[in-house]
Amino acid sequence: MKYELVSGLETHVELSTNTKIFCSCTTAFGGEPNTHCCPVCIGLPGTLPKLNREVVKYAIRAGLATNCEISRISKMDRKNYCYPDLPKAYQISQYDMPLCKNGYIELSNGRKIRINRIHIEEDAGKLIHQRGDTYVDYNRGGVPLIEIVTEPDIRSIDEAKEYVEKLQLIMRYIGVSDCKMQEGSMRCDVNISVRPKGSSEFGTRTEIKNMNSITFMTKAMEYEFERQVDLIESGGEVVQETLRYDDVTNTTSSMRGKEDANDYRYFRDPDLVTISVTDSEVEELEKTIPELPGEKFERYVEELGIPENDAALLVKYRKVAEFFEKASQGTANPRTAANFIIGQIFRTIENESAKEEFNISVSAEDLRELILMLDSKKIRMNLAKATLDKMLGTGKKVSELISEKDMGGLDEAAARKLCQEAVEKNPNAVADYKNGKEKAIKAMVGYVMKNSRGKADAVAAENIIKELIK
Amino acid sequence: MVSHEDVIQIARLAKLSVSEEELDGLTKEMQSIIDFADAINNAPVDGEEFDNINNLSNAFREDTVVPSYPTEKILENASDSAEDCFLVKKRSL
Amino acid sequence: MVYTLLKKGLITVAEVKSKIKAVNEMLKNKEITCTELTQQYLKSIEDTNASLNAYVNVTGETALETAKAVDDKISRGEEISLLAGVPMTLKDNISTDGIETTCCSKILQGYKPIYNATVWNILKNKDAVLLGKTNMDEFAMGSSCETSVFGGAKNPHNINHVAGGSSGGVASAVGGNIAVYGLGSDTGGSIRQPASFCGIVGLKPTYGSVSRYGLIAYASSFDQIGPITTTVEDTAIVYDAISEYDVMDSTSQGNRGVKTCDTLKKDIKGMKIGIAKEYLEGIRDDVREAVLNACKVYESLGAEIVHFELSALKYALPVYYILACAEASSNLGRYDGIRYGYKTPVYKDVNDMVCRTRSEGFGSEVKRRIMLGTYVLSAGYYDAYYKKAQNLRGTIVREFKNAFEKADVILAPTVPMTAFEVGKAVSDPIETYLTDICTVPMNIAGLPAVSVPCGFNAKGMPIGMQLIGNTFDEATVLNAAWQFENATHDTMFRSAEMGVRL
Repeated sequence: MKYELVSGLETHVELSTNTKIFCSCTTAFGGEPNTHCCPVCIGLPGTLPKLNREVVKYAIRAGLATNCEISRISKMDRKNYCYPDLPKAYQISQYDMPLCKNGYIELSNGRKIRINRIHIEEDAGKLIHQRGDTYVDYNRGGVPLIEIVTEPDIRSIDEAKEYVEKLQLIMRYIGVSDCKMQEGSMRCDVNISVRPKGSSEFGTRTEIKNMNSITFMTKAMEYEFERQVDLIESGGEVVQETLRYDDVTNTTSSMRGKEDANDYRYFRDPDLVTISVTDSEVEELEKTIPELPGEKFERYVEELGIPENDAALLVKYRKVAEFFEKASQGTANPRTAANFIIGQIFRTIENESAKEEFNISVSAEDLRELILMLDSKKIRMNLAKATLDKMLGTGKKVSELISEKDMGGLDEAAARKLCQEAVEKNPNAVADYKNGKEKAIKAMVGYVMKNSRGKADAVAAENIIKELIK
Repeated sequence: MVSHEDVIQIARLAKLSVSEEELDGLTKEMQSIIDFADAINNAPVDGEEFDNINNLSNAFREDTVVPSYPTEKILENASDSAEDCFLVKKRSL
Repeated sequence: MVYTLLKKGLITVAEVKSKIKAVNEMLKNKEITCTELTQQYLKSIEDTNASLNAYVNVTGETALETAKAVDDKISRGEEISLLAGVPMTLKDNISTDGIETTCCSKILQGYKPIYNATVWNILKNKDAVLLGKTNMDEFAMGSSCETSVFGGAKNPHNINHVAGGSSGGVASAVGGNIAVYGLGSDTGGSIRQPASFCGIVGLKPTYGSVSRYGLIAYASSFDQIGPITTTVEDTAIVYDAISEYDVMDSTSQGNRGVKTCDTLKKDIKGMKIGIAKEYLEGIRDDVREAVLNACKVYESLGAEIVHFELSALKYALPVYYILACAEASSNLGRYDGIRYGYKTPVYKDVNDMVCRTRSEGFGSEVKRRIMLGTYVLSAGYYDAYYKKAQNLRGTIVREFKNAFEKADVILAPTVPMTAFEVGKAVSDPIETYLTDICTVPMNIAGLPAVSVPCGFNAKGMPIGMQLIGNTFDEATVLNAAWQFENATHDTMFRSAEMGVRL
């Protein structure tokens, strides 16, 4: 029998506000243990939470960017459970009146993954286990989170992966989070069940907690899917439980203990008041939502004529897309800028996170200047490429690298003179060429190009040389 | 009726230990308090939800960082600490 | 006018009602230095605290430091605030930076806050002289002060009787003249009930008027800090000082710009004073008689008595216990031995450590309320108890709202009885809960209520009555209270024969 995967995701995203959700301590990542703490962070008796205005705004923007309805009235609730990383023995979260609901993210196959809700809550501290002892650091305690909960609409591991990537990208575009899974600023809980293909009923689901990389998430889902299918095929039953994924053994195992028969006793937090949002506030926030990656992609392909693969690479990083748009502004063909970025510039950037940062020594304005020179035929492509390499290497501006005399082509006489020189100075190449090694001519063309500082026309030069040594 | 199991479950959630000897007494006591609370069972319910005492909304703080406390202060009242962390030893002995 | 420090004897300064003003004038007129005054109070505490058990922690050194600072200001000719140099006390659930704050619980033994409660910051900035922290029922859960890990505070009128609770220590200290005033907290009557038992004045302000930041929570939507004093004017002075908006408390609103002192002594002719039928049922005869007598006093002052019913009051007690315990079960979850306070010496793993710490650290009444609160919030019971009670809370709020369309203030007994004898506070928890019947409705509805002395029973124990106002209408409540006090002071107020006499 063929089985189908049914999955829903709960994604925690840490918001990049300056301060924590309920106090004025910094949210900066890292730091020595317990250095980003105050009486509120460690739940000292008598302390009270005071909600950070920006957290509400960030969460609403996240909701707007994922097609959610924004609740005009919502509230904060306490989720009660006792664990050393939770200083008050309750987490302040939202239970039955989340800030955002009923949204969706559309995948490339046209399917919409419905978002049930987005709510705001506080992060817990960090536990470090050493030789069975527990060390507690509350720096991360109180960092604002949004939890984005989907309906069980995901039908394949590829869809799950694409959903997470899309979500990550949207959150980065609207600037609410850096979504660095390796730093824990984005993490996923995955609900999985399986059912015979074609069935409309749901199977019993398990939940894999705290996936902190997309690679591990897909591996864990593969493992869990197989495990459930094997279990059912061998006549067993899936037990509803919470699982932990072990990336070393690539297996999932039950997390009994902490989660065992929990009863969170949610109730409205009496220390916090109602959150009310007006239509005009939502409209104002709507204006702050930039063009999102999906929309950008379509525009690049349809209006700018960028090939789909290239467009996908450009929108994948917010800063790259911004750079591209600035650099291609007013140029003859946006593909020129796209090619420079995806070709030459990307070659100088090592990894994904560096692309994310996109800290390069060339400004979009400089690249644009270079492209405009190319467009107006003041310089040729090979000179442009050489110049961009120098710019990337040295951080110098176009004007420092290309002078007036470099511009314009080489006149016929000068070209002939250089070609003559090339033939004279490369007797070996001439001999090789005459002996049938066609490629040997490239050395002489190279000489011409180099000594004309790229101004020569390589094809014309080759013809002249061929003529000279015939 | 409050059962022994109820009391054990409630104590587990409340993180309180209940010994065998206490169980009977506690169950009876819980029962009498619950009976007392049951006085509201027959009270008429009107549809209006209770919000908060003065119907307040939107008490916000601005997103401006204030320096945190020194780590020594944060750890000052801890029964045990090490390496700038609160410490819970695996076991006492 | 001449003030003298008398060692003993009945107070005879009927025309000067405010002790705070008296101290202020004595200091400004250099009749006594603040240091001398503070020493006098510390000496009295030394003499009487063994019998009253009002203070659980005396902070003599810091008190004298502040006193010295006040004296320096006076000698430099600087202006001092009305509360400067006035010796006072705080209930032991109000956080004081560097000064042990225990809620009179074993679980907070040794805990020294690293920040100040907002109310203490306000008073400290006014150079208040903190004599020490006072006794209370553990985590403010009790009506006799006897659930304190330090044992209960005694009633200055008769030390064989309790001071009441939970702010019993403050009432005992103020009633026993070993503090000019004190701040208590009131979740279900914890300011008013001991004030009533000790024959003094105690105000539970409107929910939200005084910041709760730094008050160790019992039940967050009920808790409110307020003054306990010997006179209504002192209550007004202290309330005006502490009722500031606080950015740290989301429920804080301050006093909305109203200073109760401005209208304190206003005529009350035509004021409508409401009597709810339910409030006169099930209370002891001597208490009822005292309250009805107060009505006559008000009529003689030109007020009008109006009668009505508050039928939802019959649900007030269970509603209060369900909601307050639910909140408490959550608020007290944090005492796990890791970050502060007591930690069990023997355990086998982390969970065992937490359970043992809590079981050993909390007293039986606290555990009982945590259990009840956990129960009413747990799956399967939430709707029947918590949700229902929350709904009834709304009903009670609306019923009072309607009542205040008929009356300016409501007059009611504070407690259905007078102070119990030490150790006789009924052992049955339910019976104990019943003593809160008159006070909890104001906490449910968030209303201001002041308890003032209105008589004595046959044994000479004080009887108190409450004047209840609409939200943020402390001005009317205290105005009505002052007029009553002014008219009856000689007969209704009797200072205990101990402590410092101004």
